[in-house]
Amino acid sequence: MAHFDTEYQRLEASYSDSPPGEENLLMHVPEGAKSHWHHIENLDLFFQRVYNLHQKNGFTCMLLGEVFELVQLLFVIGFTVFLANCVDYDILFANKFVNHTDSSKVTLPDAFLPVDVCSARIRDNAFVIFVLTISGVFWLHRLLKFLYNVCCYWEIRSFYINALKMTMSELPYATWQEVQARIVEIQKEHQICIHKKELTELDIYHRILRFKNYMVAMVNKSLLPVRFRLPGLGESVFYTRGLKYNFELIFFWGPGSLFENEWSLKPEYKRGGNRLELADRLASRILWIGIANLLLCPVILVWQILYAFFSYTEVIKREPGSLGARCWSLYGRCYLRHFNELDHELMSRLSKGYKAASKYMNCFLSPLLTVVAKNVAFFAGSLLAVLIALTIYDEDVLAVEHVLSSITLLGVCITVCRSFIPDKHMVFCPEQLLRVILAHIHYMPDHWQGNAHRYETRDQFSQLFQYKAVFILEELISPVVTPIILIFSLRRKSLEIIDFFRNFTVEVIGVGDTCSFAQMDIRQHGHPAWMSEGKTEASIYQQAEDGKTELSLMHFAITNPQWQPSQETTHFISQLKEKVHREATGGPSDTHPLSESEPRSLIANVLLGPSTLNSVHFSADGSLTNHAAAGLGNGASALRSLSPISSSLQLRGSLSAAHRPSGHTSTTSKAMAGSGTDAWTVSSGSSAWEGQVTSLVLSEYASTEMSIHALYMHEFHKQQSRGELSRHTWHRQESDESSDSIPDEVRSEPNPHSRHLLRSHTFPTTVPSPCAIPTSASAIVSTTRGQEGAASSHKSSSQRPFSGSTADSFSAGGRVLRSARGVPMGGWAEEGQAAPRHPDTLPEEGLEDDMPPHIHKVT
Amino acid sequence: MNCRSEVLEVTVEARQVEEAMLALLHTILLHRSSGKFHYKKEGTYSIGTVGTLDIDCDFIDFTFVRVSSEELDRVISKAVSEFKDALSNTGSDGMGQISLEFYQKKKSRWPFSDECIPWEVWSIKVNVVNLANEQERQICREKVGEKLGEKVINVVEVINRHEYLPKMPTQSEVDNVFDTSLKDVQPYLYKITYQITDCLGTSVSTTVRRLLKDTLSL
Repeated sequence: MAHFDTEYQRLEASYSDSPPGEENLLMHVPEGAKSHWHHIENLDLFFQRVYNLHQKNGFTCMLLGEVFELVQLLFVIGFTVFLANCVDYDILFANKFVNHTDSSKVTLPDAFLPVDVCSARIRDNAFVIFVLTISGVFWLHRLLKFLYNVCCYWEIRSFYINALKMTMSELPYATWQEVQARIVEIQKEHQICIHKKELTELDIYHRILRFKNYMVAMVNKSLLPVRFRLPGLGESVFYTRGLKYNFELIFFWGPGSLFENEWSLKPEYKRGGNRLELADRLASRILWIGIANLLLCPVILVWQILYAFFSYTEVIKREPGSLGARCWSLYGRCYLRHFNELDHELMSRLSKGYKAASKYMNCFLSPLLTVVAKNVAFFAGSLLAVLIALTIYDEDVLAVEHVLSSITLLGVCITVCRSFIPDKHMVFCPEQLLRVILAHIHYMPDHWQGNAHRYETRDQFSQLFQYKAVFILEELISPVVTPIILIFSLRRKSLEIIDFFRNFTVEVIGVGDTCSFAQMDIRQHGHPAWMSEGKTEASIYQQAEDGKTELSLMHFAITNPQWQPSQETTHFISQLKEKVHREATGGPSDTHPLSESEPRSLIANVLLGPSTLNSVHFSADGSLTNHAAAGLGNGASALRSLSPISSSLQLRGSLSAAHRPSGHTSTTSKAMAGSGTDAWTVSSGSSAWEGQVTSLVLSEYASTEMSIHALYMHEFHKQQSRGELSRHTWHRQESDESSDSIPDEVRSEPNPHSRHLLRSHTFPTTVPSPCAIPTSASAIVSTTRGQEGAASSHKSSSQRPFSGSTADSFSAGGRVLRSARGVPMGGWAEEGQAAPRHPDTLPEEGLEDDMPPHIHKVT
Repeated sequence: MNCRSEVLEVTVEARQVEEAMLALLHTILLHRSSGKFHYKKEGTYSIGTVGTLDIDCDFIDFTFVRVSSEELDRVISKAVSEFKDALSNTGSDGMGQISLEFYQKKKSRWPFSDECIPWEVWSIKVNVVNLANEQERQICREKVGEKLGEKVINVVEVINRHEYLPKMPTQSEVDNVFDTSLKDVQPYLYKITYQITDCLGTSVSTTVRRLLKDTLSL
């Protein structure tokens, strides 16, 4: 054995491996790895899969869905080839006659070519072979991916069953928040993430949405080239799935992308030293990818056409109106998305806004088109009527050539025309509709407010909310346009992109590199015009536009009531909640010292919509005059769309009164505060169904509460920015064209005093009357709703003391919650401070000379 | 990555590379090794002992402690000398990084091979500088010694934190956590890799070099 010549030597006793006095030795009991869920290597992927499995409603559903997708693919390819090569159309069109021995009827199999002829035709056609090879390769790729996915998701399935203790059958009925709460719970036991003892909700969101947050931030800062000024068409947005795929390929995961792996940016991109060189490299990569796109263009084009044909023809035949229907555009989804908002949250929010949005768009039917459509519909209708009548009389009419097809065509024509004819019995108020939309979508450019009736607003809104037909068309031309955008537009932005990723990437311990906007830190990215004045230290370059930081923060805090943000953030949230609450209850006792600097009756404004004058009555007298009641009714009806569940699910007695806005928020908030605690205990407890209902209701309230907050913040922003030179964020693409450009230092800080003077309660006349519908229409609205409102005013006046008391109990409950939050749990709040947060990872090595002029604070 | 990573950075003369690397790697391994486990029938185990050894450096004013296991030392020395050779081949002022990665194995289902999941990575970045005369060398000798002392304290601080370590395994799983190939000591499974980078942020290396030169030219 080794000979030691130092004084540190082995004891003789332990020289042999099994010492004599063994019973006296310290014995250890191995814990072993009870589950293999500790220390998961790729948490990003893991959480994404957990989320996907939840969204796809369990393993079986997902498996079936994927299998069918594969089969569908095979079918599309096979059927197309068959139709193109193996059908004798002459027989089908009866241009050629077949000789049958037994009967004279032509059967479908008659039209099929024999197998050998068919295969010969395929073999001779080089193009078909080409298409077949490509789709074969594609299909095999999909198959491999599918098999791999099955293995991976099998693991996730056992994670759900063994670690989260959820069976697959109850998964479709569990909300994501419940799943998430369990993940947070088991982290304590299994240590999925090794960096910290406890996971927070934000960590999970960050990991799932890492790249999406970057995309949202890039769209927010107008970095991505998706808006174009086309000659003749004006400004338009082009953002398709193909383009999005290419962006993600370039930035996040493609070969040579900016990201090293799922969780970290390559180190050279974090340093500013060779940004020019990196930008060059990025530009040439974009060029190559653009060229590759160009080369693959025919293949993708053929694929897109085939795909569109097979997925949409059936729909169009079934309901031709669907082409006239609208959908939220891809750009809209990016523009409207909060930071840290999961897909299902966004979709439910947008779906709720869908009805109001399409109603709003329908306000703008062109009168000229209406006249034309009416007449076309008349003529088409009469032709159709005659044809149908003849058919009913004698069905041989159908056998006449093209009668069936003309019937179909006329039917389609009439349906299309009808969509251009407005409903006679509808009255529209665009301003109000836009407000309802805003309550759901949470974002809109400043200049829309008060301009809802204008055509420009409608055009811009249609960029977010486009025709389905346009969507399909854009997808179809995407393969051609994408390379052009990549080569000519994105390439020029490479330096900005490099700067963006360097400046807005932070490394968070336990999460990796994330977009710093996604931290939702008011101090670093707040916008002074969006309630974070005095709290934000962000330069113009760092501010998120449209109040995205603030709204995202509120959204996240409301959807995840268990989340414990940092001290500052908690303060911001609670302050805002308190303000909203005070406004909502509309108490005349506005004696809070802060209220001096706050615009009063904001919520009243929000709820009353256009009839701002009434709101002054409302808040000043505290009594409900007749006018106010009418206005209140208006607001109530606007708000009613926010809470469909509250009318159907009469869970609490107090809910029936929830239609009235004054009672509404307080009950909502109370339910939030109350069930914020018990919903979670229930959900982790035994009765799954009960927990489910509560959490469903909870999430419903959360969305309502968020809507109210969003409205409040927009209203606040509007009042604050009045008198200030409004910054048209919609056109900001030109204003902050490049980070190299000289910062817009000229934007003077508005004089706070002047702004105070312009508050609505002192100068109600400064509020422009935005409702542009004809006065008669508004009269109808107010009278019809006036009765409703009067009835509700009666109730609410008796309800008033109640709502006050609930408010108190809420604030008390809120305080309790908050003090509980104050206890440091070694969570994010603590570690967040210890975490290295360098949003602008500008190196300290004195390289300022080739830095972009860093825009300094405007203070 | 779901793994802690610690970065140590040292600036040394070419002849000091080997000793400096050995000092740091051995220091880390000293704290990440245990005695051999002896499993008993009832599922418990006792831990054997580990001897330690003081090593004096020749080119640095420094003494470090290592596990007194010749086998382990041989493995480490081999990796370090490979690294040194690779570094010296690139030219006089190379820059490199040697990393010590602790991992655990995870048995996987049939189609996949076993995963090696790292839980802690120590990266030691090395800057090699050239010194003009003997006086500078003498200063450098002391400076590097001091620096290494700081680094060792650094390492101990990190290791002292109460952070994730793989759970103590049962007998069947011991190979998934510990390297049981050595007969007198049992470190956590580890892997030593190195990379030589010439272009790795020239700006950083130049500034570091400039800083060093400034401090040396007293």
